[in-house]
Amino acid sequence: MRGGWIESGPLDEESRIDRAAARRVVLRLARMLRPQRRAVLVATGLLVVQTAALLAGPLIVRWGVDAGLVGRNGRVVNLAALAYLVVALLGAGFGRAVIWSVSRTGEQFLRGLRTRVFRHLTGLDLGFFEREKTGRLVARMTSDIDALQELVSQGLVMFVQNVLIFVGTLVVITLLSWELTLCTIVIVPPLLAASIWFRNRSNSAYLQVRDSISSNLSTLQEGLEGVRVVQAYGREGGFIERFEATNEAQYEANIETVRIATRYFPIVEFTGVLGIAVVVGVGSVLVGNDALEVGTVLAFVLYLSNLFEPIQQLSQLYNTLQSAGAALAKIFGLLDTPNSVPERPGAVDLPPSGALEVAGVTFAYGGGPPDTDGVEHPLGPTVLDAVSITVAPGERVALVGPTGAGKSTLAKLMARFYDPLAGDVSYGGVSLRDATRVSLRERIVVVPQEGFLFAGTLRDNIRVGDPDADDARIEAAVDALGLREHFESLPEGLDTEVRERGSRLSAGEKQLVSLARAALADPTVLVLDEATSNLDPGTELEVERALEALTEGRTVVVVAHRLSTAARCDRVAVVDDGRILELGSHDELVALGGRYATLFAAWTRSA
Amino acid sequence: MDAEREARRAGWRLIRAATGPQWTWVTAGIAAGAVWTVARLVVPQLAGAAVDDGIRSEDTQRVFVLIVAMLAFGIMQAGASGVRRYCAFRIALRTETDLRAQLFAHLQRLHFAFHDEAQTGQLMARANSDLQQINQVVILIPLTAASLLTMLGVVVIMVSKSVVLAVLALGLLPLLNRAATVFSRRITPVNLALQQELSGLSGVVEESLSGIRVVKGFGAERMQNERLAARADAVYERSLQAARMRAWFMPLIDLLPTISLVAIIWYGGHLVLDGRLEIGDILAYNLYVAMLIWPLRMVGMLIAQASRASAAAGRIHEVLATDPEVADPEHPVPLPPGPGDLRFEGVSFAYATGRRVLDGLELHLRGGEAVAIVGATGSGKTTVARLVPRFYDVAAGRVVLDGVDVRELSVAALRDEVGIVFEDTFLFSDSVRHNIAFSDPGAPFELVERAARLAGAHGFIAALPDGYDTVIGEHGYSLSGGQRQRIAIARAVLHDPRVLILDDATSAVDPSKEHEIRAALAEVMDNRTTLIIAHRPATIALADRVVLLDDGRAVASGSHEELLATSERYREVLARIEDDEAAAEGSPT
Repeated sequence: MRGGWIESGPLDEESRIDRAAARRVVLRLARMLRPQRRAVLVATGLLVVQTAALLAGPLIVRWGVDAGLVGRNGRVVNLAALAYLVVALLGAGFGRAVIWSVSRTGEQFLRGLRTRVFRHLTGLDLGFFEREKTGRLVARMTSDIDALQELVSQGLVMFVQNVLIFVGTLVVITLLSWELTLCTIVIVPPLLAASIWFRNRSNSAYLQVRDSISSNLSTLQEGLEGVRVVQAYGREGGFIERFEATNEAQYEANIETVRIATRYFPIVEFTGVLGIAVVVGVGSVLVGNDALEVGTVLAFVLYLSNLFEPIQQLSQLYNTLQSAGAALAKIFGLLDTPNSVPERPGAVDLPPSGALEVAGVTFAYGGGPPDTDGVEHPLGPTVLDAVSITVAPGERVALVGPTGAGKSTLAKLMARFYDPLAGDVSYGGVSLRDATRVSLRERIVVVPQEGFLFAGTLRDNIRVGDPDADDARIEAAVDALGLREHFESLPEGLDTEVRERGSRLSAGEKQLVSLARAALADPTVLVLDEATSNLDPGTELEVERALEALTEGRTVVVVAHRLSTAARCDRVAVVDDGRILELGSHDELVALGGRYATLFAAWTRSA
Repeated sequence: MDAEREARRAGWRLIRAATGPQWTWVTAGIAAGAVWTVARLVVPQLAGAAVDDGIRSEDTQRVFVLIVAMLAFGIMQAGASGVRRYCAFRIALRTETDLRAQLFAHLQRLHFAFHDEAQTGQLMARANSDLQQINQVVILIPLTAASLLTMLGVVVIMVSKSVVLAVLALGLLPLLNRAATVFSRRITPVNLALQQELSGLSGVVEESLSGIRVVKGFGAERMQNERLAARADAVYERSLQAARMRAWFMPLIDLLPTISLVAIIWYGGHLVLDGRLEIGDILAYNLYVAMLIWPLRMVGMLIAQASRASAAAGRIHEVLATDPEVADPEHPVPLPPGPGDLRFEGVSFAYATGRRVLDGLELHLRGGEAVAIVGATGSGKTTVARLVPRFYDVAAGRVVLDGVDVRELSVAALRDEVGIVFEDTFLFSDSVRHNIAFSDPGAPFELVERAARLAGAHGFIAALPDGYDTVIGEHGYSLSGGQRQRIAIARAVLHDPRVLILDDATSAVDPSKEHEIRAALAEVMDNRTTLIIAHRPATIALADRVVLLDDGRAVASGSHEELLATSERYREVLARIEDDEAAAEGSPT
């Protein structure tokens, strides 16, 4: 008699795993659990003891019946009852220890897995995130690990315990009477077959139920959201009919699961009676022939549920195990994804200052490992073709050119979001490939186009630039850009929760936060991707002023979409077709009369 | 408090009424439950007798007979169990399904004012989770009834042999029920808190991944890793809290029946030694105790479920008890043929919130006339439009269509002659064709296409992947706001009503495309009474006449130019509308 019945959800194709993959997952899991092997051993030991206590009960009953009742000894009856009580209490005590130790070990493992998977994820190169859908990656960290959580909190103990009980019971009853065991065991295969049939049939039936519910709900929702149109055109009758169809379909899908259960559970019940009948019938005959003690028959009856319940429970647990295994396989797949811009062993810190030098860089997207779905991403067309440019310390360079020309890619390579296929990017004479990740981000910071906000206060969001910064430094960064007044005009100043309703920041304000982050990070090189869209006129001016203050005294590479920005820079590089076509100051390029001059002329006309 | 009790009582009445038509299944279920109980009670008796016969080694013939009898009762038990189960689930599912259909049909017919107040999400919950609560309790009722019968039988059998033994063996078992209840009450908030922590964790994951460019650009990986670690710690703490409770209660729930077995062995054993009980009885009692475990836990579940279900049923009852405010009159007058002459005579109207919108409105649209209603935001323009097809009923005065008060017509007949295009268009997840032929699903394709052409929609529809068969709406191909509005206009055109109402129906249409629709609309409106609620001067220009609405009354009437020339208020309102539009679009003026 063990705990509850575990309800696991239906299993769809996504959450299945084949035998070979399952073996790999289990082996790897065992390796991962190695640091916790003591805890695992302790839990296993406790489980064995608990199972032993459970199995001892019927043996004590047998002794009490044979030596006490048949042998007419009252003292034995008392002793047997006492022993049974003690064993039961011990069993409960150990049961408690088992649940606790398995849960603790499992939860520790999950906590480690969560942080490890996430650390791996955030450490991966940007190319990875461009290949993968965000939703799928979120699922790895949420629904997949939750599937494991379900296993840890409910399934695992039950699984191991049921296996132990089944095997243990089989051993014990064989030792008690192999003849009776043989007769009893005959019942197991049909029950097993029925259980497997039930599991498979009910699984597909439940998938059907899931689909029918979702389609019924969407009809319902549409009927409610469109009720005004429905009434305006007097189509209530048609809609009610339509809903009745999906509603009945949901009923049919549900009743099908009932039909399946109606076939299975009576078999289970009858098997229970059949087991008792076989044990009692054969046992009584054997007792009558003095081939068996009556206590053994009693013990057998008590053991019967130990044989039958594990079969039912294990066949149910199968789904939980399958989805957990499939989830683990997906998680391992993610953990195996290599970082294509790794920190090499023996990496050095970048020097405090220096020139940013791009030397003969060639680049194309793709060509990395297949994504977690196994889809290959072959090397795409060449985006940059042997590009060279040196940005001197304190110089501001604008990259201009049509969309898809490669200017954003060049900027990303300058910050080592990717490594070039050929050529090298270096800072102060040190190749970015040889730099430590930390020093790289201390020197070179990328401010993305759109100001993305994290949940939390404005202050938390600015702190992204430097997690160790105290409030004073954050305020100093805000002051440096002249933004204090603006931020303090918000409902709760810097402590305004940015994601809360009512304090939505405008696109321009998000940009301001982004710039404040950069000011706090205080890098020597800033890589800016200018916003393509127009900002609200109110903040546009402020963004420009803050940008001016931020770039003061820093090396700046800006992907410019507006030529006014380019005109303010020291030099302009015109990028097209993966090459730098023109390079020089604004005035020089206008005088040159080439691509830039044409662009500039067109722009001044339209403005 | 009393209101809640009353609601629960109404909820129970609803459940009773909904299960009523299932009486054959209820009867079958109860009968099967009774058979099941009897068979279950008999089997241990037979097993005990067989063991005793074996001990006395009388004759194996009798043992054989007993075993055959046992198997017969086993088959009876299994069969009855199947029937009982099927009946219980069938009644519950049927009840759930019927109530859901009833609820939906009712909601479809409820007046606009109701839907203005209700939130879709809440109504969805009524039709989904609330009904499931009812389903659960309806399943449990017959199952528990049989369980109670079983318990009663076991108690009677045991008491008949020995009261003391019955008390010792069964005395602790009610605690099982109690323990299960306490456990579920304690662990529920912990599980909820755990869910919350998990969703917090997934929040960190989601934003880190969608903001990955920021994270990478600033090298904020460590910061996010730490935030996640903090969340993972919180999840860990909560999970352990739940584990601690499970570790307390689960073994306890398993222990209680074992203690009953100990009592049977001990006290029953001595009764055997005293010759007042057979060894076979010990076996039977063991089986009885095992039989009681689930029923006891189920009673606890039923009590908890009953309270949830009655509250849920009370909420559903509340919706069903709301009568449609807009209903057919007892003796509807047939609508005489006419040009669509529409009059508002001293019409006043206020919304449920109490805001008085119309105050003695006098307005006359001659048959075939197109009138634009212009007014400041909140002046009641949209309300005027919605009183015509009786989406709401007037508080005072009357709306008269071709000489008949709209309240004297059947709602269906009225709405058949009034076509409205709403400001916020709603398209159904269905093909373009079915969306246009909404009012008349059997309309021939030529009519659908003609309607689409008149609404200036044919061009883009033909360019869709599957043309008129393209599935649009929430789960289909997504269209721009202007395209959606044009399909909605086509819908109204196909409806071919006497009175056409365009409630700001071209607001989302790209101004550069608007002239196409205007030409088409002019054709549609030809010889059809049309009420235009409009903001843009271009749309206003479609009308023969403009009426200025202010303070719930028509304050001026005339052509656009006349009003511009004569009415200061008209100029003001138009200027303000332009400002509002500019602000809404966020474009610099």
